[in-house]
Amino acid sequence: MNSVHSRLDAIIGEYAELDGREKLELLLDFASRLPPLSAEYQARKANEDRRVHECQTPVFLWLETQNNASRLIAEVAPEAPTVKGFVAILAEAIEGRPPEEVLMLPDDILERMGLAEVLGILRARGLRAIVGHVKRSVVRGMTGELA
Amino acid sequence: MAAYENPDMLVSCEWVAAHLGDPAVRIVESNEDRALYTQGHIRGAIEIDWQVDLQNQVCRDYIDRAGFEKLCQANGISPDTTVVFYGDKNNWWACYALWVFKLYGHKDCRVMNGGRKRWQLDGREWSTDRVNSLHTQYTAPEQDGSIRAMRDEVLRHQRTSKLLVDVRSPEEYSGARLHMPDYPNEGALRGGHIPGAVNVPWALSCNEDGTFKSAKELEKLYLKDTKLKRRSPTIAYCRIGERSSLTWFVLKYLLGFSNVKNYDGSWMEWGNCVAVPIVQGNAPAGGNAPAAPADLLTPLA
Repeated sequence: MNSVHSRLDAIIGEYAELDGREKLELLLDFASRLPPLSAEYQARKANEDRRVHECQTPVFLWLETQNNASRLIAEVAPEAPTVKGFVAILAEAIEGRPPEEVLMLPDDILERMGLAEVLGILRARGLRAIVGHVKRSVVRGMTGELA
Repeated sequence: MAAYENPDMLVSCEWVAAHLGDPAVRIVESNEDRALYTQGHIRGAIEIDWQVDLQNQVCRDYIDRAGFEKLCQANGISPDTTVVFYGDKNNWWACYALWVFKLYGHKDCRVMNGGRKRWQLDGREWSTDRVNSLHTQYTAPEQDGSIRAMRDEVLRHQRTSKLLVDVRSPEEYSGARLHMPDYPNEGALRGGHIPGAVNVPWALSCNEDGTFKSAKELEKLYLKDTKLKRRSPTIAYCRIGERSSLTWFVLKYLLGFSNVKNYDGSWMEWGNCVAVPIVQGNAPAGGNAPAAPADLLTPLA
């Protein structure tokens, strides 16, 4: 199975040739592939503090690890398709990979996709904060804080 | 007053739908989330983005006059075009774009009341067509300083006990919340508000469907519930001057304030400035605000 890194490289490669408008269209494609929360996570959403407070739009994240395989489960408000698309990209890259690889998520994904320029520095900074949030979730999982 | 002071500044979704092919009208979408325009926009509408199109990418400022002229020329906007702004989040960014257009003296600017939300609720259609614009001629005047407040003017303004309106959340206003977690670069070193500022969070100006509240409700919110006055010079601010451009629009055009400016430096400038007075807590002015040293206002040699 491909590593988080090589999957991201493949996605970044897809973005390389696109113009600004096409980059956003591809992001919307990813956004539409993020599955809705299952009933179990809907219930957990009400009882756990999983809101990503760094984001102005409502984003709820779970980084689950089972048998050394990670999975990013997320709900992003439909009025924030950019955030939703970016979270979907992270979820695809992370799926099934060991937490150590998730910790190595690079911070310059948006720059390499050419999206930082399309979105502007403030939006790019907001999205980068999600990467940091995911990594901190891994660390908390490793240190047993999220039993 | 039973009606808005300048009702023509607002157009309805019906009006926009009836003017889709009108060459004298340009519909402009401005959003918090850029992908929304790509996902679907009003047919024929162009997108002008507050970060990428309207801001200087190096200096913390807006595009200059030549940049504004170029932007209009590339987007089929002439000096006599009716430009109608709309967008997500209660037209917050639409008002911001309108403010920049007014900064460069564009005459006929309007807001589509309710923005994307109202258009969607009405069940109107979205288009994913790429919109091409005819190149136009555009000459703009220099910036209109009567709607933009800079730091030194704000210093003088508060020193003479004039009023300001802080449109951030009550937690930001009181100083309880300094910045969003993990956003140190968007935060300020000090929390609180500018002396003399009343707190009216921006979103209180809008209804659930994204439209502006009625003139009567806005009068109560701004004129009865606070000390703000139509004829008193007033400065609106928030964190980076975007939310406050919606409040500026409400005060200037819907309530008819004669002298209201947007302070786009806002808390990101004030809360990081050395030696400017700050009030913490819920009262507009307070004993804990030291006066700024007089020489802070000395112009540079």
